[in-house]
Amino acid sequence: MKTPAAVALTLLLATPAAAQGLSFRPYGMFAQQSFDAQKTFDAVFDSSSGSFFGGGLNITDDDRFYFDIGASHFKKTGQRAFVNSGQTFKTGIPLTATIIPLEFTGGYRFNKGKRMRPYAGGGVGSYRYEETSGFATDGEDVDTRHAGAIFEGGAEFRISQWVGASADVHYTYVPGILGNAGISKDEGETSLGGFQFRVRVLVGK
Amino acid sequence: MVRIRVLLSCAALATALATTLGLRAQVAERNGFRVLEGVGLTAVDQGVLGDDTHTPASFETHRRSAIRAVMHTDGIGSTGAAYDRGHLIVRFRDEADSAARMRAVSWATRSGSIAARPSSANFDIVTIDVNEDAEAVARALATRGEVQYAQPDYRVHTLMVPNDPLYQTMQWNLPLLNLEKAWDIQPQAGSNITVAVLDTGIAYTNATINANLPAFIDDSGVKYPALGPVTIPYSAATQLITSGRIVAAHDFIWDGTQPLDFDGHGTHVSGTIGQLTNDGIGPAGVAFNVKLMPVKVIDSVWDDIFGSPNVGTDSVVARGIRYAADNGAKVINMSIGRTGPPDTAPAVEDAIRYAVGKGVFVAIAAGNEFEDGNPKEVLADIASRVQGAVAVAAVDRNATVGDKKCSGTSSSPSCHAYYSSTGSWVELSAPGGSERQFGRDGYIWQQTFDFRFVETYLLPPAEYHAPRFDVLGYIGYIGTSMATPHVSGVAAMLIQQGITDPAAVEAALERFAVDLGSPGRDDQYGYGLVDARATLRGLGIAR
Repeated sequence: MKTPAAVALTLLLATPAAAQGLSFRPYGMFAQQSFDAQKTFDAVFDSSSGSFFGGGLNITDDDRFYFDIGASHFKKTGQRAFVNSGQTFKTGIPLTATIIPLEFTGGYRFNKGKRMRPYAGGGVGSYRYEETSGFATDGEDVDTRHAGAIFEGGAEFRISQWVGASADVHYTYVPGILGNAGISKDEGETSLGGFQFRVRVLVGK
Repeated sequence: MVRIRVLLSCAALATALATTLGLRAQVAERNGFRVLEGVGLTAVDQGVLGDDTHTPASFETHRRSAIRAVMHTDGIGSTGAAYDRGHLIVRFRDEADSAARMRAVSWATRSGSIAARPSSANFDIVTIDVNEDAEAVARALATRGEVQYAQPDYRVHTLMVPNDPLYQTMQWNLPLLNLEKAWDIQPQAGSNITVAVLDTGIAYTNATINANLPAFIDDSGVKYPALGPVTIPYSAATQLITSGRIVAAHDFIWDGTQPLDFDGHGTHVSGTIGQLTNDGIGPAGVAFNVKLMPVKVIDSVWDDIFGSPNVGTDSVVARGIRYAADNGAKVINMSIGRTGPPDTAPAVEDAIRYAVGKGVFVAIAAGNEFEDGNPKEVLADIASRVQGAVAVAAVDRNATVGDKKCSGTSSSPSCHAYYSSTGSWVELSAPGGSERQFGRDGYIWQQTFDFRFVETYLLPPAEYHAPRFDVLGYIGYIGTSMATPHVSGVAAMLIQQGITDPAAVEAALERFAVDLGSPGRDDQYGYGLVDARATLRGLGIAR
């Protein structure tokens, strides 16, 4: 039921908007993020990168300025650990981290009228972070939200009259969640953000 | 009492019968001392005993030391440290052949000769005249190119100052380490791990002992009569021993494989490491499923009276460490120590580094001499130089759960146990107990011998009689000896959790310790009080 409803909403938003000079284009997104907290994520997940899936709404004005609202989701399970002299020791206790960014960005699209439209912009986001572990007692799991800053740049390609695709590099800086305790504190890593390589498919003119 | 008398009588009768009928088990004989292992009855359990004879300042503690000192006329070094007269520990360089080695010895002393190398040793024993100054000869030998190190064979001693019902009522020490939640994380409690207990032995088997007790003169010059041939019953600690629990037992005091505890210290220490738990009887232990390797490296008064060939010295301890490392131990507990000139135990340091190099974590008592001039603890000091070995100080019952800062203020009083040595070597703290302020409520309780039946040499000569080691009870001890096995137990659980590198085990224990006293590491508490649950759980990303 959710999929037909999403398609209907997409068409509803996309069609009338184009007629008014503003273009409303829903999109779906996949992103691969290289976390700034490289040592921390590597210790827990054996990898300092992770995948985000999400979507949002891209609004353009006069086909030059854009405003974007998007949400995505990251979830991964690893092990609690500690790091000694650069070596990681796992405890075997599972840890699941979930990141849900809600991001608002705006910027400028170059090459009006061309099929490839480079763009650059920035914005702010609200980042919800959840961390659950085995054998946690009250107050030991984490569920918090902090603001972060965003910088992005990339290009959009027009695939057909109704479909576009974009690829960009999207950098987020998210202080306040990491660095106060846990491995991130030991490693002196304070930002939950990092560089994302994003691919989006946009629907609308 | 009637029931106890009946049980004791039955035990004595059965023992005598077994001996008369010529039952034989594993037999070792030396100086008329013979152990018939497996021949004996289950111990009589006396329950909780109000024994106050194993505290640092007790009269009995001093008597035990004094009697042992009289029985072995140790040499006394420049700093007051006792050493075994008549021999040195010498590590010759590999390239020095036997002729060169002998030349070096002859240069340093006229009386010297090189004895056959003992088992589990990477050093030689050089025998010298008992009247020679062993420290001076060692210094002279150490200057020779053929010699890597030479040291007197310093005496080592124990550092005891000196749904389980007692866990609920008397064991304040285990909840202090956050152990209940640690057991949730690891209910196996170290079942795959072997902890070697380098101590006075363990009451690990039922046995019957035949011995010939000679007369002796105590520290006051009082003569105790010879008792002649006696049969002594011996029983395993009922709350410690289960089938398959004891592995690779070895006795370096008697040069055998029957490390029976005639003191009670090693049995008590082993109880803190692995007393049977959740069985509805007695107290609990930290890593209650570990395997135990009794390695006897310390002689008791009874070993001395029985005529043991060796006493607890650096060479014996060094061999014990190597033996444990070579026979599968993952943790070595050393609730033992000695003072003396700094850096004068190269043989022991070499052995500790060997053990750590083989993946063995070592916990060593930090010393009980705070009120006796607070001298440097030589073995504990080694631990502070080796990543993978830790020196453990003692806290008392002021270190309460939830308020463990022990800042020394009225709201957060000091929890430094009054006897616990302080210094640069202290790395961690654990409960060692104290009778001051707390009386018996401040003790560390475990099962060991009922000393009324064991320490008969403390009685007047007319009442002196053969001991019996088949009556046990729950006894309170105090000391860094008692603190150290808490750390060994937590280390065993951590190793079972998958953190096997000794340096990492040490780093984890220190990283997750609850900081006490001054912020950061300090000489009283080291990095702080061990927190078993935090250590086993490790860290998350943000918490």
